[in-house]
Amino acid sequence: MSAGSLRSGYEVNDPGYPTPQENYLTNSKGVLSWMFTLDHKRIGLMYLIGVSVAFLVAGLLALGIRLHLLSPDGALFNTGFFKWLAPEKQPNDIYNQVFTLHGAIMVFLFIIPSVPAALGNFLVPVMLGAKDVAFPRLNLSSFYLWVAGAIFFVMALMASGLDTGWTFYTPYSTTTDSSVILATTGAFILGFSSIFTGLNFIVTINTMRPPGMTWFRMPLFLWATYSTSIIQVLATPVLGITLLLLIAERTMHIGIFDPEYNGDPVTFQHFFWFYSHPAVYIMILPAFGIISELISVHSHKRIFGYRFIAYSSIAIALLGFLVWGHHMFTSGMSPMTTIIFSALTFTVSVPSAIKVFNWLATMYKGSISLTTPMVYAISFIFLFTIGGLTGLHLGTLATDLHLHDTYFVVAHFHYVMVGGTLVAFLGGVFHWWPKMVGRMYNEIGGKISAALVFIGFNLTFLPQFVLGSRGMPRRYATYDPEFQALHIMSTYGALTLGIGLFIALGVLLYSLINGRKAPANPWGGATLEWACTSPPPYYNFDRPPVVGDPYEFGNIEWDAESDRYVKVEPKRKVVPSETPAEKPAHAGE
Amino acid sequence: MSLLGDLNHSAFFPDSASSFSSDSDWIFYFITVVCVIFFVPICIALFGSAWKYHKANGEPADSQIDHNTTIELVWSIGPSFLLIIMFYFGAQGYLNHRTVPEGAYEIGVDAKMWGWTMNYGSGVYHPELHVVVNESTKLTMTSQDVIHSLYIPAFRVKKDIVPGRYNYLWFKATKASEKATAEQQAELDRVAKKNKETGESWSYDDHQFTPDGYRFYDLYCAEYCGTNHSEMQTVVVVHETEAELKAWIKKYSARPDGVTPAAYGATLYERRGCKSCHSTDGTKLVGPSYEGSFGTMRQLTGGSPVKVDENYVRESILYPKAKVAAGYQPVMPSYKGQLSDDDVNSLVQFIKSLGDPSAAGGEENNDTGSAAAETGDEASAAETAAGDATETTPQN
Repeated sequence: MSAGSLRSGYEVNDPGYPTPQENYLTNSKGVLSWMFTLDHKRIGLMYLIGVSVAFLVAGLLALGIRLHLLSPDGALFNTGFFKWLAPEKQPNDIYNQVFTLHGAIMVFLFIIPSVPAALGNFLVPVMLGAKDVAFPRLNLSSFYLWVAGAIFFVMALMASGLDTGWTFYTPYSTTTDSSVILATTGAFILGFSSIFTGLNFIVTINTMRPPGMTWFRMPLFLWATYSTSIIQVLATPVLGITLLLLIAERTMHIGIFDPEYNGDPVTFQHFFWFYSHPAVYIMILPAFGIISELISVHSHKRIFGYRFIAYSSIAIALLGFLVWGHHMFTSGMSPMTTIIFSALTFTVSVPSAIKVFNWLATMYKGSISLTTPMVYAISFIFLFTIGGLTGLHLGTLATDLHLHDTYFVVAHFHYVMVGGTLVAFLGGVFHWWPKMVGRMYNEIGGKISAALVFIGFNLTFLPQFVLGSRGMPRRYATYDPEFQALHIMSTYGALTLGIGLFIALGVLLYSLINGRKAPANPWGGATLEWACTSPPPYYNFDRPPVVGDPYEFGNIEWDAESDRYVKVEPKRKVVPSETPAEKPAHAGE
Repeated sequence: MSLLGDLNHSAFFPDSASSFSSDSDWIFYFITVVCVIFFVPICIALFGSAWKYHKANGEPADSQIDHNTTIELVWSIGPSFLLIIMFYFGAQGYLNHRTVPEGAYEIGVDAKMWGWTMNYGSGVYHPELHVVVNESTKLTMTSQDVIHSLYIPAFRVKKDIVPGRYNYLWFKATKASEKATAEQQAELDRVAKKNKETGESWSYDDHQFTPDGYRFYDLYCAEYCGTNHSEMQTVVVVHETEAELKAWIKKYSARPDGVTPAAYGATLYERRGCKSCHSTDGTKLVGPSYEGSFGTMRQLTGGSPVKVDENYVRESILYPKAKVAAGYQPVMPSYKGQLSDDDVNSLVQFIKSLGDPSAAGGEENNDTGSAAAETGDEASAAETAAGDATETTPQN
């Protein structure tokens, strides 16, 4: 074993302790060492690069949408360039394909794998105090399934594109001549990638916790990941079945979804949303986990209401399975069904609200460092709160009949998925970047990116709430002139958001060239990933780490000389492994 | 309740013009107010804490308190009561939407890619939706192809139209559409006449009136349905009295006396949605253009060429999937039972009037050409007679 492996646990926090010469990035070299790696950290990093590329592509498509909507008759895709690029296609067709691919790539290739597969892969074993996930080979195959799924999407794009919307509603998807089968095959494969990741995390967390890592000593990120994994394993198979049935309907006309063969298109919607509503919790729950970590660490204060946050993650995972019908309030379901789905929808808002209140209580009387990750986290709370509250307008039946399928839904969804998940993802990347690559980034640059993302995002999507309540339907390539001013505002917002995101990328990449070497614990976190070096050694921990309270900041102090946080030995409470720091949990009962 | 709901020119809503509008808007404002009441303190706590407790690295936090069960239970359970209120009023409003009153005025809605056909009974079809103020109207809606959704923002109503089943929607419009003044109507007539010459379709957005001189409410398709989804729009006109509506319907009931079949065919081409897929200037849309097609030979998908004559056109209107032109998708819905014989004949004559004069003259294929022309003339003459016969029936 290398020199690095001699150091383990909290000891490496000593100021001035030499960084080990070898870590997971340097312990083996060459492309093959990456392609066949079984190291969860390398797989996480490869996922991070993969999802970032997918995000870049889908983000550029989003800019295309916004630029086209600058004018009521359409702008961008009416230009000569697109006539030259795709002479066979009408501008409306191009727009429809662009918004479809934007949605499909963002959902299937970016948001779903973003936090669990990229950050989760890197963090879950380290936070847990384990050497790797339970099934490293399954983990690698999950990554290659993601790549295969992505290739199918590219093939669909190259063949004849996709114009069904990311929801593949029948009978449009069974009759259109775009590449539905290639795209659904891609989504089917990506489903397996997602199931493998979820399964791996469930087994890892259940079986590989080191001594002392009780369920209620797990960082909240792990609770969130665990809840997410439950959904991934239980819901994704339904998507797989639905997509296979869709392919069978298209090719063999089995008559399940297509009314021409006595099928029922609404059945498809039930099947699809039975997965896809829980899937939005696959997208947002891990973000909740990130924010719980970020708020606590950068406030240097114990997380408030640990058990409520942990249980609310599980509650969301379970309740999330019961509310899919709220995507179909206007479809003509029976009034009784509709009303029950509305009532259930309201119940799922409670656990989300609990988390927001807990984060605020954590910040109260803390010692807040306004670092880049913290700025992103604060931005998240603001944006997610708007996203969550506007969900009430949509869960309420009488108002949903007006707002359904309008820009109000688009705005609500993006406040949760972009203002929520993406902002949390960025916050998480900035937070764990020093750990992942061993370099510090430029704080000022990071904060500028956070500010631009915040401003640009609000400018993009606040006007869309008004567009929606004024009656602008979604997925429109052209629109009535009365809506133009708000559309222009939204487009300028999108450009600002784009600039902010490019700055974030630039800041991170620049740190690789010119960043200060990262200390083991740059933020003063108490979870286990901060106890190993930055970047971590190949096996994370050579012997089982000493597991303490993940939110006990009393024995972590700032060392100004070395510009890092260190663990202070005298204050460290050595407690028997059975009962340490369970006090808060018991006191609550 | 009505205090907020009756704000007609709110920044957040289009006109409020149905009995549902005020309910829907009242609940919307109620929820919004509740949201603001929660959002403002959240922001104060969020930004206030970030500002007040922002400390230099290394300064300890003022407190390490990590739970308070009472507070947590209060903020978990407390807001639920507000949620119950929202749910209750929302569900109540929804049930009103689903309970169609007895004796509502019935109109059929036929949605297809990418146009609307409203069925007023007795063979009268029109793309515009015309209803009577303060009278319940029930729409019975069907789709011929994919899922559409009928959405009238000013009425706050929306319902998906699912192929293979009937979906219903009802509303009571509360504000009649303004009528154009004589001067404005003259201008509108002038534009309509000019449009007829140039083949342009009526621009509702530009004129803010229907060709008949009514202000209107927008009606959109809200469920994505393919290429021209965003152009699948029409308008709603609310008449003052039922007599006025009946008069309007009568105006469109049949080919008026003295109008030639070809001219009436041009009207039907606009009104019945042919225009969304077939151009008259040679542009390739979803279906073949009419320009110069009549009298030519046409290649079929998986078959031999066929001559575009009266019989072929008639068959294509009534049984569109029987003979599909090569290079096009078999997506056209059948118009069987929706057009009278006179209507079909008018469309045939209209398409014939746009036909290829050289081919019709039969200069190249003398024998077959003239033979087809003769049989065609006979057929059309027979149809005209049949059409006249049926035309008189509804009026009697």
